[in-house]
Amino acid sequence: MSQKSVKVVVAGGFGTGKTTLVGSVSEIPPLTTEEVLTQASVGVDDVTGIEDKTSTTVALDFGRITINADTVMYLFGTPGQDRFWYMWDELSVGAVGAIVLIDTRRLSTSFAAIDYFERRGMPFVTAVNLFYGECPYDEDEIREALKLDSAVPLLWCDARDRSSSKRALIGLVQHALARLS
Amino acid sequence: MIDVRWCGDDEEDRRLVPLYVLVNGRTHPRNTSLDLATQVIALPADTTALDPEYRAIINRCETWMSIAEISAKLDLPLAIIKVLVDVLLERGYLALGAPAQKTVADRWLLETILASLQKL
Repeated sequence: MSQKSVKVVVAGGFGTGKTTLVGSVSEIPPLTTEEVLTQASVGVDDVTGIEDKTSTTVALDFGRITINADTVMYLFGTPGQDRFWYMWDELSVGAVGAIVLIDTRRLSTSFAAIDYFERRGMPFVTAVNLFYGECPYDEDEIREALKLDSAVPLLWCDARDRSSSKRALIGLVQHALARLS
Repeated sequence: MIDVRWCGDDEEDRRLVPLYVLVNGRTHPRNTSLDLATQVIALPADTTALDPEYRAIINRCETWMSIAEISAKLDLPLAIIKVLVDVLLERGYLALGAPAQKTVADRWLLETILASLQKL
């Protein structure tokens, strides 16, 4: 059987528009699946006051795009809480790459994601979500604030808009291709 | 709240058989290449002797379906779906798509994806 899946990770801080982007390009309404964290998270998650809690669920939103008869692309939004790194590892294995969404009002919420994909050596693009209208900063200012490597593309997008989200996805695949040569 | 489906607390959930009994206490799939994006498809087989949870998975897989989609549609955690799917693969009720790759560095595949996205 040669049925192939390819994964794209959509990351960024809380409220940067990950689920919105997944929903705008997906051919199906975004689905939510969950993973259960058990003992492994003790000592990592703060369980003060809820010591009886033996498991935590991590929700994962995703969508799909049919590439051709035997290839499907899945877009996974990373869990909202950055501490669920083990989930990020599973999402990233074999992935084409990642789109890191940036909200210029809260740049710092996307630092962890940029750092993660840099360390992993995985192709990624940053996409400034213009959810809230005009961006008061130019590309150089944002790059400087994010300490972004010059090889990492910075794109502008409106995660609510299908063609804009699609352009971000195309930008990622082009970047992944460019890194091969 | 404690996930009642996971720990089999049937007082709240009314599930008579906890999911860990269904999978004989297995906590991980034996086939470790199973990824949340791995796709499976049902093979023709008599499923009447199977537990309803297994039948529900097979019924969802008339066309290629990923582990993540099965999990979302049946509202069961990924970890448990992976084990259930693994059991069905071993028993020949499901067939497996291409295993997850460690890295995607296939130029031809990337170019196919790019061309297809541009046509969307």
